[in-house]
Amino acid sequence: MRLMALATAAAAAMLLAQPASAQAAPEQLPDWTGVWEMVGGTLFDRSTAEPPNGRSGEPGVRERPPYTAEWEARYLANIERVRQDRFPDPVTTCGTPAGFPRLLNIVDGYEFVVTPRQTWILTENGPNVLRIYTDGRGHMAEEDIWPTYTGDSVGHWEGDTLVFTTIGLNGEDGAIIDRTGAVISDQAHATTRLRKRDDGMMEAVITLEDPVAFTRPWTVTKTYRKLEGDVRIMDYACAENNRNPVDPATGRTLTLGPDGKPIDADFQEESGD
Amino acid sequence: MNRKHKWLALAVLAVSLAGAAPAWSHHSFAMFDTRQEVTLTGTVREFQWTNPHGWLQMEVTRGASTVEYSIELGSPNSMSRRGWRRTTFKPGDKVTAVINPMRDGSPGGALVYALDAKGTRWAWR
Repeated sequence: MRLMALATAAAAAMLLAQPASAQAAPEQLPDWTGVWEMVGGTLFDRSTAEPPNGRSGEPGVRERPPYTAEWEARYLANIERVRQDRFPDPVTTCGTPAGFPRLLNIVDGYEFVVTPRQTWILTENGPNVLRIYTDGRGHMAEEDIWPTYTGDSVGHWEGDTLVFTTIGLNGEDGAIIDRTGAVISDQAHATTRLRKRDDGMMEAVITLEDPVAFTRPWTVTKTYRKLEGDVRIMDYACAENNRNPVDPATGRTLTLGPDGKPIDADFQEESGD
Repeated sequence: MNRKHKWLALAVLAVSLAGAAPAWSHHSFAMFDTRQEVTLTGTVREFQWTNPHGWLQMEVTRGASTVEYSIELGSPNSMSRRGWRRTTFKPGDKVTAVINPMRDGSPGGALVYALDAKGTRWAWR
């Protein structure tokens, strides 16, 4: 929590630098209606992907977070676990939220709901909700906040751009950014600039700072295209028929047959079934 | 090499990795060999239109025996936006499925595309 205090102080300083009232008049708010879909895949930082066309979760694929030597070593260990299919992903259990910033990096529909006092980012997959308060309030005080998956986000409008900061993230052992094995510490905090570009795409420019894991800020841009037609957000009931549970003993993702038993041949051999 | 692996090896086609990124969000796809494609011809036993993934349960005849394959699809949400409906397949339908097979040779895979009895091509990623 000591370093979180620093993060909180930094975010508070940013808030002091902005106008006293962050709230925008309704007629000044941008139109972000519709259902949107992320483009570019779920590898968080496509611009530093190695190989450039590598996909998140493929053996050996990585990106270049500005890690310290210690956290680079941790990332390399995770990459090896990914290669062995032994990198457990909490969302595979259908239990926990994707969290921040990963909720800006998932498939299926997105909605960006703008209201005068709050903006909500609603993700169909998960589902996840990111609430961004824009009514002038600051972040929760250090003695009041506790670490969560999604943290605490407050923001203000700079023209048609919503600028918000996020603090209070959990992940003592490293919260997962994506399935390359990239993680951030529970001291990470972020400033995100969210806007609709002139070409009609939604764009989130996320600058992550992590005084524990990073040597410098890491800025990543995610973009979203608007889906045409009568598109509606539907249930994403992850626990409805999850035939890919994680084996708690090994961290491996299993594949179940319709009878609920693993069909993985070598898993059955390992467990002696 | 056992019989199953030999059969798979015969059916395997080397494919390029080019193309759209698969929309796997819920879990790792490490169990699937995305560098390989296997073509299966058979009959639909069950079409599960469920989250977080749909599944095509397919019976494939091989010699005197029948093997049931578990073929993983996308979420109904993503598939419906690519033209699929909950009625796209029903038990008894003839189907040809091209899959990225499971690496360990077990009877499962991730669908690349399916051809229904009319020859319509169904893909989701």
